[in-house]
Amino acid sequence: MLTTAVNKAALGTTAITVGFAAAAFGVAYLAVGLWRCDPRWLRIGRRMVAWVLGAGLVASGVMEWALVSRDFSLAYVADNGSRSTPLLYTVASLWGALEGSILLWVVILGVYLAAMVRRLRRSKGFDPAGAWATLTGLAVAAFFFGLMLGPANPFAPVDGPVPTDGPGPNPLLQNHPLMAFHPPILYAGYVGFTVPFAYAVAALTTGRLDEGWLASTRRTTLFAWGCLTVGIVLGGWWSYEVLGWGGYWAWDPVENASLLPWLTGTAFLHSVIVQERRGMLRLWNLSLVTATFCLTILGTFLTRSGVINSVHSFTQSPIGPWLLSFLGLSAAVSVGLIAWRADRLRAAGHIDSPLSRENAFLINNVLFAGFALVVLLGTVFPLVAEAYDGRQISVGEPYFDTMTRPLGFALLFLMAVAPALPWRAASGDVLHRRVALPAWVAAIVMAAAAVVGLRGLAPVLALGLGTFALAVIVRQYATAIRAQRRSGSVGWLAAPGAVVRSNPRHYGGLVVHVGVVIFALAFAMSSAFSTDREVSLDEGESARLAGYRVTYQGVASSQEGDRDVTSARLLVERDGRRLGVYEPAVTRYPTQTVGTPSVHTGLWEDLYLTVVRLPDGDGPATIGVRVNPMVLWLWVGAGIMAAGTALALLPRRTIRSRSGDTPAQSAPVEAPHVPAVAGEGSS
Amino acid sequence: MTLRRWLSWAGVATLVAVAVLTGMRPAGPSGDDDRAVAIAESLRCPVCQGLSVADSDSETARAIRSDIVRRIAEGQADGDIRQAYVERYGEWILLRPRGGGLGTVVWLVPVAAVLLAGTAIAVVGRRRRRLWRLLATEQDRNVVAAARRSRRSGDGPNGRGATGHDRASSRTGRVGGEVR
Repeated sequence: MLTTAVNKAALGTTAITVGFAAAAFGVAYLAVGLWRCDPRWLRIGRRMVAWVLGAGLVASGVMEWALVSRDFSLAYVADNGSRSTPLLYTVASLWGALEGSILLWVVILGVYLAAMVRRLRRSKGFDPAGAWATLTGLAVAAFFFGLMLGPANPFAPVDGPVPTDGPGPNPLLQNHPLMAFHPPILYAGYVGFTVPFAYAVAALTTGRLDEGWLASTRRTTLFAWGCLTVGIVLGGWWSYEVLGWGGYWAWDPVENASLLPWLTGTAFLHSVIVQERRGMLRLWNLSLVTATFCLTILGTFLTRSGVINSVHSFTQSPIGPWLLSFLGLSAAVSVGLIAWRADRLRAAGHIDSPLSRENAFLINNVLFAGFALVVLLGTVFPLVAEAYDGRQISVGEPYFDTMTRPLGFALLFLMAVAPALPWRAASGDVLHRRVALPAWVAAIVMAAAAVVGLRGLAPVLALGLGTFALAVIVRQYATAIRAQRRSGSVGWLAAPGAVVRSNPRHYGGLVVHVGVVIFALAFAMSSAFSTDREVSLDEGESARLAGYRVTYQGVASSQEGDRDVTSARLLVERDGRRLGVYEPAVTRYPTQTVGTPSVHTGLWEDLYLTVVRLPDGDGPATIGVRVNPMVLWLWVGAGIMAAGTALALLPRRTIRSRSGDTPAQSAPVEAPHVPAVAGEGSS
Repeated sequence: MTLRRWLSWAGVATLVAVAVLTGMRPAGPSGDDDRAVAIAESLRCPVCQGLSVADSDSETARAIRSDIVRRIAEGQADGDIRQAYVERYGEWILLRPRGGGLGTVVWLVPVAAVLLAGTAIAVVGRRRRRLWRLLATEQDRNVVAAARRSRRSGDGPNGRGATGHDRASSRTGRVGGEVR
């Protein structure tokens, strides 16, 4: 037992050392190769990526082995494992605490870097941009391996005698399977933004500031963005199913930390299109990408350093100063490089008219950047204020709601109008033709809903703007299908698919927009119309809320390993129809007591039940009953967003035209810099 | 045509106004319960991690909630109730930082930044457009107009700019966007 334990620690530490060395050597080889303009050095440097990935995989493999075999001689296992933890949560406890989560981080970074190097392999000869990108990626990897050699060593031996059992993961992390998926997906998003960052640094150092780096990173950025989106929503879902306060988003610092890179990343996905089409916003795009990367590091700092208290923050450790220094370094390098190249980053074109697609993207970016600023200030300000004069200030939900709501509505409006705007300049005719009908549809839906009895500014506006956006998209799609059909090469049945295949990126984006609309609507409705009550019920007694009847049928207790689960049996009926017995529970772990809600998920509303207070003997139990409308549609909306992202990742397939023209390539860059005369619409 | 267009948009505006005004009418008279919930939502639960008094199930939050209800019944104003909690727990209890002093920063900076950025874009855009217009001669404009005319007769009113993505298809003589 002892010998294998020592071996595991030694093996893991060796793997981490190898990983660090490979990353450091890779950086050195690439630097020398760039200095000497010698592709042979670059090739060796690139090969180091395989070692980095391999070392990361071996190290996390050893850690999983230690966790599953319950090797309590490792401090990490002793702190986060236990003999009674089910296998799924044992495996998942790799990312349940700080050290393990950094292991996961380097594995994911290794995979991204390997994919990047695979693409670069195709380029023959001396490729300074690719080399700089690899160098940057390896430098980031070296930092994270360095963290594990220094303050966050996952293979540290346990202090004192080896315990025979451990406390297991934090109770909140082991009562829902979502916890097994949410962190890796979120990390896949976080870490993925390293790749565009690396390419941006490469573009800046080599001075190749054209659209090439955007083309090389488009897929990775989009994939990372999709993962981040899904990861954030899964986090909200976990919060909803596990924490039991009835909501899914609380503007908690850790939630905000994941939202920040999402906001700047979303801005980037849009502004990139402007640079590809028109060669504008180069400086802005570089700034956005570097900011997104820095925000992922800031997020890791906020989450992992223990500077903030949060329901999602499960680690406290001394790595704060390291992460903060790395954040400062990344920010300084980015700002320095951008300032150095500023003279080359002048826009080649300009915006012809305020009523144009590019101007819509620009406003989109201002709004997203403003949104990010609100979230950043609200999250960081209490820390800064406390450091500044020791005053404790809270910035919470009411602040974020007040500030982000107008931005959200402005973005929804823009999302409706922008797809209808042509590039360069819209004439009044074009705009009217594309927008008038959808606007009528939206206005009628809005007014009808208000007359029927929908109350509240936010729900009414969300419904109206959402319908507007959907109607514009449907109209555009229908027009494109008709045009495709008229051109005669495809039949009615094939036309809808052919249109999408002709430009998966565009239509994938529109599908994401549909998901956003559904999500926004569900968000507005569930925030505005949830009702809750606390009821004290004796056995056999029932309570009514919003058409539901909840009957308390007593408690049931069970012992599962080291935990003691007491659940309240609640018979739920709606309008006389039996929906089933729901059992919200209170689980006593040796360390902590955790309440678990029980949710009846319906198409239009959820019934959310919690145990507020267990009965003393035969006394009454206090039950929290909450009706949340449209929550299911949050997850549906997010699913549609993920599907749209996947669609946008598909390569553009060209449909062979009848005339036998050469099929168009999927070249994302068109010659952009054609000056045009402004404001000459056909009106 | 223009008049019809104006009428159409006026109709949309009227409907939206009706919807917003109807929607903003409160569903019922704003009762003491709503006030209590609003106050509870604006106070931080002192023993929780980032939850409001309204969202928390803890004993402390529950005690504060019933205290708020009691104070409302006594006739205290919302501001006074909040102030009482600030005196007891400090500014920290307020989830919505008050303006004045340091708290102003979180309110002013984002608003100022967005307004400034918007203004800058408008000003710079206009200046640049004016510059380009000066550079374009009458002859240039004729060329552009002629090109536009020829395209319009070729493949629809908006050509390939229609949906902004059909570069490839218009090259093969097909239009993905608008054909009218």
